[in-house]
This record gives sequence, structure tokens and C-alpha cells, in this order.
Amino acid sequence: MSTREAILDAVRGALGHKTVDGAALRREADALLADLPAIRPDLLADGLVEAFIARLVTPKVAATAERIADARELPAAVARYVEARGLPAAIALQPAAVLQALDWSGFDVHDRVAPDETLAVGFARWGIAETGSLVFHSDAETPILANFLPLHHLVMVRASTVLAYLDDYAAATAGQRPPRNVNIITGASGTTDIEGSLVLGAHGPRYLHVVIVGEATDQSAR
Amino acid sequence: MEEATLSFKARAERALADPTLKIAIDRTTGTAERKRAVAMSQFPQFDAARERGKRIKDHVIANLDHYLLEFERNAIASGAKVYWAATAGEASQIVVRLCKEAGAKRVTRVKSMLGEEIGLPHALDEAGIERVETDLAEHIVQLGGDRPSHIVWPSMHRTREQVSEMFKRLHRAPHQEETIEAMVDSARRELRDKFLSADVAISGANFLIADTGATCTVTNEGNAELTTTPPRVHIVTAGIEKLVPSMGHAIAMLRLLVRSATGADVTQYTTFHCGPKQPGDRDGPEEFHIVLVDNGRTRMLREGLKEMLRCIRCGACMNHCVVFRQLGGHVYGGTYPGPMGAVLTPVLDGLEKSRDLPHACTMNGKCQEVCPVAIPLPTLLRGWRDRSWREGLEPASVRFGLGMHAFFALRPGLYRMATAIAIRVMRLFSRGGVVRGMPGLGAWTAYREFPAPAKRSFMEMYKEQENQR
Ligand code: SF4
Repeated sequence: MSTREAILDAVRGALGHKTVDGAALRREADALLADLPAIRPDLLADGLVEAFIARLVTPKVAATAERIADARELPAAVARYVEARGLPAAIALQPAAVLQALDWSGFDVHDRVAPDETLAVGFARWGIAETGSLVFHSDAETPILANFLPLHHLVMVRASTVLAYLDDYAAATAGQRPPRNVNIITGASGTTDIEGSLVLGAHGPRYLHVVIVGEATDQSAR
Repeated sequence: MEEATLSFKARAERALADPTLKIAIDRTTGTAERKRAVAMSQFPQFDAARERGKRIKDHVIANLDHYLLEFERNAIASGAKVYWAATAGEASQIVVRLCKEAGAKRVTRVKSMLGEEIGLPHALDEAGIERVETDLAEHIVQLGGDRPSHIVWPSMHRTREQVSEMFKRLHRAPHQEETIEAMVDSARRELRDKFLSADVAISGANFLIADTGATCTVTNEGNAELTTTPPRVHIVTAGIEKLVPSMGHAIAMLRLLVRSATGADVTQYTTFHCGPKQPGDRDGPEEFHIVLVDNGRTRMLREGLKEMLRCIRCGACMNHCVVFRQLGGHVYGGTYPGPMGAVLTPVLDGLEKSRDLPHACTMNGKCQEVCPVAIPLPTLLRGWRDRSWREGLEPASVRFGLGMHAFFALRPGLYRMATAIAIRVMRLFSRGGVVRGMPGLGAWTAYREFPAPAKRSFMEMYKEQENQR
């Protein structure tokens, strides 16, 4: 008997034999996620984008955030960011069509992130108001390392894709083939490994700045 | 003398006599306890969420065979290879073999308690494969050549002064300034090129998602993704109890896990890994292997410990344990310390070797109270005590103590009277909430303060409440 069979047999032996009805089990599992408001936290504000931003700037998440009306204003926002912090005007630009379509004149732009990259500009597919998180899917436009190597990570997200809860993201993608990586990123990299005190910039970015574009399609948080 | 060969009592005495250790433990557990309390005060849904989390895990455990097969099927469909290991040794062998097949000279590792449990660090070292621990705490443990002492903060037994000294001695470009920030930077510099030049990445999994075949890791440092993305091969080792039906269920569990572990609402990085690099992907491994490990879990299912399989390894039980906070994690002698370790170690290492652990407990119930999946840890510990007694593993002195326990247990009226007297006697020796130098506590109070008991025993208060209803 293979190890696989032996383990499965041991499990079945311990549980007592029964025939499993997959559909019934699925219903049982779904029922465990009923009445979600009873088991998740309240949002910090009524509007989704407002709640998202309020969460982003809490000390726990420690990101910074700003809003712009149109994606074409992103390069100017990046320019302000760079200037305020005295950084070189060189950016690793995530190879996402929405970003590459913008006018980056005045910047030294490259699309491969160096191991010691100072600033990378990225695009997140979703924001999550509950946690102040950004969600990325690995694909041709989204190298995963670009989210982890730079010291400063500046991320654009559309207000219309800010969801209330992590569950809403799960529901939005249920049944689709998952990407290799789903990165849910909440704030900058941090560690509490030395005496429990929080220090930012452990291995990943030390600074996270989120730029929210446009208006939410649905202004009310559910 | 090698720590592992010492008796529990000898290890405990050594730990009690180490003043630096006490400082180190207090700094981290104190912070953890405070932060968790704040997180809970902002999450009034905790009780309901905990009940649900418990039911989710119980549902999975009750249908574990089904979920294992569903996970396997979906993982294979995503391009992963799935392996099954009955024991720690088998699991390590599979990983080492995969590393060798990949021609690996250097492997990077993301901290995983299962990896520790199966002895993977040692197995890789034996095989002559360079192992780079990328989690900051595990990096500190590796530099110090010792073992993790906590499941969330493996290097909590080190003070910042000790870490600073090690980094200065062993890093290529160490920090100049004596701040924790500068030390973290030193580690960042030290590890950066190693992430990018490894041949194989090894991680654990906080959750296995049955309906997609994905594995989920949570970290705050971002070391998991930096570790698992560049190498050609990614190997995951995970216990078979890590399953959840879907991502939605993982999210419900994450809300409990993170608040209980660090007091944050969510970790900085939560990543779902599903199969190898897909067509068009800019980066990612070409091979993705998942090793499913039993190592005592089916035995726990069979032998009355199935509630322990709910454990999501948050560490809250140890942060709130009076014994752990006096002794630290090394004293427990196994992979897992604290209350959960005292339940698990007899399964993993045998009761004969670890029968002292279930006794290193005051039965104050704090661990069960903070456990995010409501595991009745004191009851499970009592189960081990009884079993140890039945199997005749207890030496005469303990047998006497347990005999007294049984004597009182059968005579609850007498027990209440005796504890009521004991509490009053202990309070005579307490000053400002702690007991010092009480006769009979010996070595313990020579170095440590013993928390003074509540003014009345739980039973007294309970009765009063009942009467008021
Ligand atoms: S037993 Fe409970 S409190 Fe302890 S680590 Fe496991 S889940 Fe956390």
C-alpha cells in the first residue's frame, strides 16, 4: 500500500466509514460562511474609498494615500512623491498597460526591478477597505518581485475596484482559474522579530504609497 | 551538557537562573499580549468569529479524507506535484531528494513550524545543501546555532543586545548604530543576494485551499515571496490538518490567526501560491512541489486529540501562559512550546520522554480562553496526565501528587475547602499581586515571582454567580 493510501485509510479509520456526498459537503461548507457581518470587523467609514484610506493610514498599516481624479495625473503624483523625499527621478514601472500608456517624460523609466531598486510604481487590481490591502495577480503585466524588491512602492488602484471585504475579493474571483500568485499586500514590510517591536522595511518595501484614481461606482459600504 | 539530553527539571532550573532570558521573554510576550488585547477590543465580533473558526476546522477534520483528495486533485490540475509522507523522516527525505534532483547547492527557506517539526533544517545540513533562513527570527536562530523558542517569534529568547553582537560578528556589512532599525537593515543587506541566487525555495503553508489546490503563506517581512519567486523550484511542506474548503474559509481563519498572533488585523503579506509559473508570467518557479505530512496527525484523530488539529499555530496560548513566560520555549524540549506544545510533544516525541510537560501547567485556563479556535488545552493536558499515570510512567513523587489530585477530584467539597485555604495562605506571602519567597515553592520563587492567586477561587466565584441567577 502506498503512503498516500495508508494516510487516507488511517483518516477514514479514525473518522469511521461513511460515504461522502460532495454536494452536501459543499452546502455545509458554504453555510459556514453565512452571516459574514457577524464574524468580521466593521469598516472605518461609510464610503468604501474613505474606509479604505482610513485603514491605510492607521499606524498598524502605516501606508500613505492620496486621491487623483484621472490616471493621467499619476506621473505628476509620482513627481511630487519623488521630490518631497529627495529621490532620484528614476522608476521601475510595472509592465502594466494602464501604466505604460501614461506620459512619463521627465522620468528615467525601466521595467525590470533591480535588487536595490529605490522606487517602483505598480498597479493593483483591487483594494480592500476592511484591511487597507492591495491585491495583485501574477501575470504578464505583473512580475511578483516588483512588489517586494523596491524600497519605496507606489501603487495605483482604481476607486471602482475598492471592495469592502476580503470576502468580496474571494467572491469576485471564485470559480476562475487562480493565478500562480495572489499577493494581498497590506502596508510596508515589517518585522517584530527583535523584542517584539515593529520595524518597517524588513525585506520588502519600507514605504508604501497608494494612489486612488477616480470615484467609486458604489459609494456606500455594505 | 547538550540541552536536549537534560531532564525537564534541569532545563527549567537552567532557564530560571538565566536573567537575560527572562528579560527577552518579557519584552516580546508583554508586547504581544498588549497588542492582542487592543486588537480584540476593536473586534467585538471575536467571539462569534471564534465559534465559526472552530466549526470550520471541525468540519474539515470531520471530512479530512474528502478535502485531502479534493486538494490533491486541484493542486495536480494546477501543475503542482503532490507527495505524501507518513513520518517526519519520510517528509525530510522527500524534500532532500527533490533538492538533489534539482541540483541545488543553495536553498532558501521561509520559516515553517512544520519544517522544524520534521527536522528539515538538520536534514538539509546533513545532505550538504547550503540552507539560508530568510525569516529574520530564523536567521537569528541560524546565526546563533540554536533552536526556535516560540512559534511566531522563534528568536524571542534573544535580547537586542545579543542580536547586535551576533550581527556584528557574522554579517558582511553590519550595522553601526545600536538601533533595532539598523540591525534589521543589516539583515536586509546580508540576505538580499541570497534570495536571488538560490536554486530551491522551501516554504510551509498556513492554509491549503481545497477547491483550488493553492497554498497560503502569511508573513510580515515579505520574505516568503522573495524566497519563493526567484528559484527554479518551490517546495511546500504542510501538515494534513491545514486544509480549508475555500479561500473564503481561509479569510475567516486569517482574521482570527493574525489578531491572535501579533495583534495586527492582517499580515502585511498574504499570498496564495497555486502551481508553477504560468504561460506569460514574468517570474516564478518552473516546478512546484507539495509534500503533505501526517507525522502523528492521524494518530491524534484516532486517539482523542482531534480538537488539537484545529490549532492554527498563532502562539497566543504561550504568550499568555504563566509557565512559558517564566521558562521560555527551549525548556519544553520539542518543536512546539507552551500549552499547545505540551499537548503536541507527547504525540511527536513520545509520552515517556515528555511526560513532564503536561504537568508544567497551573490549569489557570488562560490558554483556552485566548485560543482563537477554542481548543480545550487544559482538558487535553489532563488527558496526558491521566494517561501517563495509567501507563505507570510517573515517578513516585508525582504519583503521590496525582494521587492527591484524584483524592480531591473525587471529593469536590474537600477540594474546595483545601483550595480556599491554600489561596488564603498564598496571599499571606504576596505583596502587590505577586508571591515571593513562599516556603515550598523553593527554586521557583528564588528567581521568580509567582502571580498571586485571585482573592477567591474560581469555584467560589462561580458558585456565587450561580446563586445570583
Ligand atoms: S492552541 Fe490555540 S492559542 Fe495555541 S497556538 Fe494553537 S490556535 Fe493558537
